[in-house]
Amino acid sequence: MGGLRSTLHGTDLEWAAAKSLLGLGTATWAEVNGAPMPREATLARTFVELADSLVADFDVVELLTRLADRCVDVLDVAAAGIMLVAPEGDLRVIASSSEAMRVLELFELQAQEGPCVDCYRTGQPAVNQDLATVNGRWPLFAAEALGAGFRSVHALPMRLRGTIIGALNLFRIDQGEMTPADVDAAQALADVATIGILQHRGAAEAQVVNEQLNHALNSRVVIEQAKGMVAERESLDMEQAFARLRKHARSHNLRLVDVARDIIAGTMPASALDALAPAKHT
Amino acid sequence: MAGERRQGILSKLVDSTGAGLGTKRLCEVCAAVTGMSGAGIMLMSGDVPRGSVCTTDDVSNIIEQLQYDLGEGPCVDAFRQDRPVLEPDLDSPSTPRWLAFRGPAVEAGVRAVFGFPLRVGAVRLGALNLYRDRPGPLTDDQHADALILTDVAAQALLVLQAGATPGKIAATLEVGANFQYVVHQASGMVAAQLDVGVGQALVRLRAHAFGNDRPLAEVAQDVVARRLRFDDRSGERDPVP
Repeated sequence: MGGLRSTLHGTDLEWAAAKSLLGLGTATWAEVNGAPMPREATLARTFVELADSLVADFDVVELLTRLADRCVDVLDVAAAGIMLVAPEGDLRVIASSSEAMRVLELFELQAQEGPCVDCYRTGQPAVNQDLATVNGRWPLFAAEALGAGFRSVHALPMRLRGTIIGALNLFRIDQGEMTPADVDAAQALADVATIGILQHRGAAEAQVVNEQLNHALNSRVVIEQAKGMVAERESLDMEQAFARLRKHARSHNLRLVDVARDIIAGTMPASALDALAPAKHT
Repeated sequence: MAGERRQGILSKLVDSTGAGLGTKRLCEVCAAVTGMSGAGIMLMSGDVPRGSVCTTDDVSNIIEQLQYDLGEGPCVDAFRQDRPVLEPDLDSPSTPRWLAFRGPAVEAGVRAVFGFPLRVGAVRLGALNLYRDRPGPLTDDQHADALILTDVAAQALLVLQAGATPGKIAATLEVGANFQYVVHQASGMVAAQLDVGVGQALVRLRAHAFGNDRPLAEVAQDVVARRLRFDDRSGERDPVP
């Protein structure tokens, strides 16, 4: 029941909560998703199914592969792939409806040229690109795609706050064009892929923050225990004991928590701490 | 349906005066939305209570303190079992449980108590504790609200901590929290007095508190104030020799 899962059913406040969790700032639903939610029954079922798989410990590649498969079922295309922008800025295939080498190569080719690259650069959908007439624009890609038996290609941007994080790539064998409704549906599926990736990042982030919290609590406990031990051994109050621990850490360029651990473990006696004013230890 | 419910809860959390979300308000909303007498949020890790993030009143404070001291109760079970733990009649429960927790909790005025795990996906943070001063089960509505509240509260805790300096607990989480620092200070002192490890010292402190029917924090306070010692020089009656 994570925030993003609820956003699929969409209320502004849930979206606000999800955004704050994922650090999306002031992005609106429309900015991130761009398209209205589709109403067709088949699509609705697909979304419910995908939403159900958006639990925290899902495998993001598995989810995106399933999404690519659904594109083939729902959109009457022969192959679908999901490309993401790598940190270096080039496009990489992350999921495909087909494991055929020929198809995979077509996705990979688009690191240099093709509808996905155009879509990534312009931020606009590149749909109904007839491979027979685009020869000049993508000489390498168009020749390969035609050779593999495809007639048209389509790419829908995966948008986040005005940034394109990747593209949904579709290949068709027959000549007919994708209707505007098909394009809307494809864009909606691309949006679900974006949500899937964000949800994955959110879950990973939750794990990190929780570990940081536990780590901070543990450090604090160790420091409090060391304060008690130093206070008892050196007949100091807690404040004086803390000051002594901190001074020792600073003057020896150590972390306070490491000094505290040494005290607790007995590897350093409390009397070995640098005294503050008149040395009390013998 | 679930969306409307969540929206109602979120609007209660954000409406106030425009001040940032605090844990105190979080607890108050948890109690108010579910119509309970009080609520508390407990952090846990490794099946052990780490301390209380917030409580709405003295009684919920006692509920959290008892669970910290005794290591048993609705929050502890909810966290360990990763599911809601419901006790609609703490005074005469249908199945006996929480033998140490039950008596003092009833004495404090608790008649029904409910624990809900706080989690974000697979990440588990602690538990939400709800109590009421009269017995009776949660209605379906209250139960549904509590589930959404725990979801919202868990995410809110992470959001608050996410802003902290690495290695530190977020200041916004420390406000109104009780992470039992005095107990750890006392553990360090008792460890020095008995020349044992801090873990064993904590066991001695807990045993003393339990044997003398006193809150652990109170016993720890006595140690830190040097009113109580655990070594030979003391006249204290430590029930564990």
